[in-house]
Amino acid sequence: MPKITLEHVTKRFDKFVAVEDLNMVIEDREFITLLGPSGCGKTTTLRMIAGLETPTEGRITIGDEVVFDSEKGINISPAKRDIGFLFQNYALWPHMTVYQNIAFGLENLKWSKEDIRKRVDEMLAMLKIEQFEKRYPSELSGGQQQRVAIARTLAPKPKVLFMDEPLSNLDAKLRLEMRTELKRLHADTDSTFVYVTHDQLEAMTLAIRICLMKTGVLQQYDPPLTVYSDPANLFVADFVGNPTMNFIPATAEKTGEKSYSIKALGAEMSFSSSEPVGELSSGGENNAVLGIRPEFIKLGGGKLGAGVYATLPAGMETTVKLSMGDDIITSVEFGSVDYPLNHQVKFDIIGDDIILFDKESEIKLAKGSVAL
Amino acid sequence: MEKKSTKNTGNALRSYFSKPANVITVVFLVLLILAVVLPLCTLLIGSFKVNGNQEAIYIGNGAADGDFTFHHWTELLTSKDFNYAEIKFWTPLRQSAAMALLACVVAVGFGGVVAWFITRSDLPGKKFISTVFVFPYIMPSWSMAMFWENFFKNTAINAGEGILQSWTGICVPESMVYGLVPCAMSLGLHYAPFAYILIGGILRNMDANLEEAATVLKASRFKILYKITLPIVMPALISTVLLVFSSSISSFTVPFFLNKSSINSGNNFISISVQMRSLINTGFTKGQGYVVAIVLMVFSIGILTLNNWVTGSRKSFTTVTGKSGQVSLVKLGKAKKPIAIIMTVIVAFFAIMPLFSFAMESVLEVPGDWSTFTLRYWISSEPFEGSNKGDTIGILRSSIMWKAMGRSLLLSALVSLIAGTFGILIGYAVASKRNSKAATLVSNLAFLPYLIPSMSFGAVYLALSYTKGFTWLDGSFFLLLLVGSIKFMPFASRTGTNAMMQLSGEIEEAAIIMHAPWWKRMTKILFPIQKSSFISGYLLPFISCMREMSLFVLLVISYQTLVTTVLSEYSRTGLSQASNAINLLIIVVVLVVQFIVNKLTGASIDKGVGGN
Repeated sequence: MPKITLEHVTKRFDKFVAVEDLNMVIEDREFITLLGPSGCGKTTTLRMIAGLETPTEGRITIGDEVVFDSEKGINISPAKRDIGFLFQNYALWPHMTVYQNIAFGLENLKWSKEDIRKRVDEMLAMLKIEQFEKRYPSELSGGQQQRVAIARTLAPKPKVLFMDEPLSNLDAKLRLEMRTELKRLHADTDSTFVYVTHDQLEAMTLAIRICLMKTGVLQQYDPPLTVYSDPANLFVADFVGNPTMNFIPATAEKTGEKSYSIKALGAEMSFSSSEPVGELSSGGENNAVLGIRPEFIKLGGGKLGAGVYATLPAGMETTVKLSMGDDIITSVEFGSVDYPLNHQVKFDIIGDDIILFDKESEIKLAKGSVAL
Repeated sequence: MEKKSTKNTGNALRSYFSKPANVITVVFLVLLILAVVLPLCTLLIGSFKVNGNQEAIYIGNGAADGDFTFHHWTELLTSKDFNYAEIKFWTPLRQSAAMALLACVVAVGFGGVVAWFITRSDLPGKKFISTVFVFPYIMPSWSMAMFWENFFKNTAINAGEGILQSWTGICVPESMVYGLVPCAMSLGLHYAPFAYILIGGILRNMDANLEEAATVLKASRFKILYKITLPIVMPALISTVLLVFSSSISSFTVPFFLNKSSINSGNNFISISVQMRSLINTGFTKGQGYVVAIVLMVFSIGILTLNNWVTGSRKSFTTVTGKSGQVSLVKLGKAKKPIAIIMTVIVAFFAIMPLFSFAMESVLEVPGDWSTFTLRYWISSEPFEGSNKGDTIGILRSSIMWKAMGRSLLLSALVSLIAGTFGILIGYAVASKRNSKAATLVSNLAFLPYLIPSMSFGAVYLALSYTKGFTWLDGSFFLLLLVGSIKFMPFASRTGTNAMMQLSGEIEEAAIIMHAPWWKRMTKILFPIQKSSFISGYLLPFISCMREMSLFVLLVISYQTLVTTVLSEYSRTGLSQASNAINLLIIVVVLVVQFIVNKLTGASIDKGVGGN
């Protein structure tokens, strides 16, 4: 039921534009992450949906109810939006015990004493913090505080749950654990989750759809794997994925409805796609960028050759940096491999997920495969 | 189109006022403009017009009540008849400035040294020293002046035997008892704890790593102090100097108690604030009094603007967080014990001796002579000769004293309630609307009364109560309440703002989402978290109001209104035993209240001042 719609939402602080003309629909029971570098407007967007920040223009609907409309002057207070909000630093009230923190929202909803007791116990059990009931927040570790904050947010059974980088204060191991639990929680609670993060891995692993933003402007709004394999522009391609995509300067010329001829890495290649491809904004040298994910640089055979610049084994996979003229190319091999420095290797560019970007507009022109 | 835009404005307004912080901002903006800006304008106008018929006669040249005139300014600042401007304005101003400068040196020197020892060395007995050292600041500002007189006066200058003379037989010259130096010393000692709190606060919060880094780089102790510590506390030091200077130059009570001079010495020290009172109190020169008030105000505002400019540009220095754990204390070694003993003696002398001296003075008929011991001035029910009904010699039997004490307590309690609550609300509005122009304006307006010397502030409201439409204020309890609440609001609004700023906005937002209405958020979440700071915000106005005299002295109809005005009347008429007794009583009341509040809530006076 609670589908969230944002129409032409803009937020300006004096002259600074934090969010510009944002349009998006969050489906019921979806898990959305708002992703982007710091200062891109993702937190502002979240706070506007929650009602903690007032948009300058636009319209926001939650379920059937318009909660904000600058034209009609509607601005429903956050308390009446039936939402939960998980803050980055938890915002637990230091003068209340764990029990009191969780019960506070229920008291405000005028629940009976027994119901509150029952619900709090349920939450304590669900998040495995029963033994801390009578403690104060300062007597808990970061991870435990995080659980209390989640319990407090979930207790009133909000239909929509907003989270503002809730895991960024935890250590790496705990963060991984909490990610699993949040995903589980999403399945168990039947709520819509909107999650803000600057960590692309977190966004990839958690979300059903990622909303990637840059300086207040929406860049791409798609499922994680689409964002990964079919990025809308250079920024998205660069932001998502680790190690990052290889961006190779290229000179391209359109040769057919679905093909280009490309000069890159000192070789001539042909690029072909299954879809009609875009027009280059200019001709001449270096008018395009070839984007190749590291896993599509296949070592051990092929027509291209390079020297090994460095080998970075991580156990499960190995990152190999290749030096080719002025360019450094990244390749990822499964398993442990080792090459001596400056060893000459042959490689090939494989797969159908090679992207060609326009150099000037930075927009994706086509996705396809290259043949030498 | 037209219709749509008005509708939009209406909606915008409605949504603006749906936020409590906005409502508070607007309400206080209006309130503070009425209570601070309006009276200031009245004062300014008063200095440019003829105030009353007496003044019209004094000015002559056919001037009539209410006429516009430059006379007050030209006469007071430039008149050469009988050297009028020099005697009435320039000399007192110069003398006051000299007094204030000297007071700064004393306050910063004494307070700074103590602050360093307490925060940066392994001095034993720190707790006792730091507790007792704040006493002189809690006492009324004239206490130190009274103590000074009690201690140093002697028969050689026809002032009765003081403590020093009765113990040692030494008679100090008159310039050591009355005049510039004693005034400056009293003020300096009174403000030394203030310097201690400000400088100590910085020293305590200073990141120890900064000094340790220098130690590792082989800098000597002295070099660290000189090159690292001092520059870091410099803004606090300058701040203290400027604040003490601006408070001292306009101080009324201390010069009021210590400007008596004997006939033969030619020692005529008159401070600018005492001059102002005498100008205002005669019906002929009210306008000139207002001129002095404005000059003092411009002085203070100028100094404090300078202060903000100095600290503002170096603010990053002062907000060093104390995150790096242990502070490495300077080992005093062999000097430890002697220094501790000397410090304890000095601090105790200025904190406890005054109390002792007031007690002693109040029970001796002839000062210093224990054979004349009497409790008459405490408990006798004999009436004073030719005095009002109900005025007895023993202050504990005097219905005038008790009524005045009751009114003072009531006034202080109400002032603390109003100022403290307003302070919290302003703090809330400022903190939740950071960087908003309106909120900044409210915060500045609420701080403005701090910049206005008490006497001038009294004069401002006096001028207002003579203005048509406001005469109902004249001499009323409500006027005292209004003046007190506004004057002491800066303390409360500072503490309130600091406390609110420490809370992240998310603390309140978490409660908003939990459906907690505004009053519940305030009472259940925000107040309990910062309880001790907020209660300090209530305590400070109470203490300040209880011991305040300069502010109210122009505004009360008779000396019987407040306990401090009773005190000043007794002192003026030479009833030194009774005035000492009352002073002791006031100090005891203030200390007891402060002690009880501290024990009950953990709030304390230095918490509030420390955040300044």
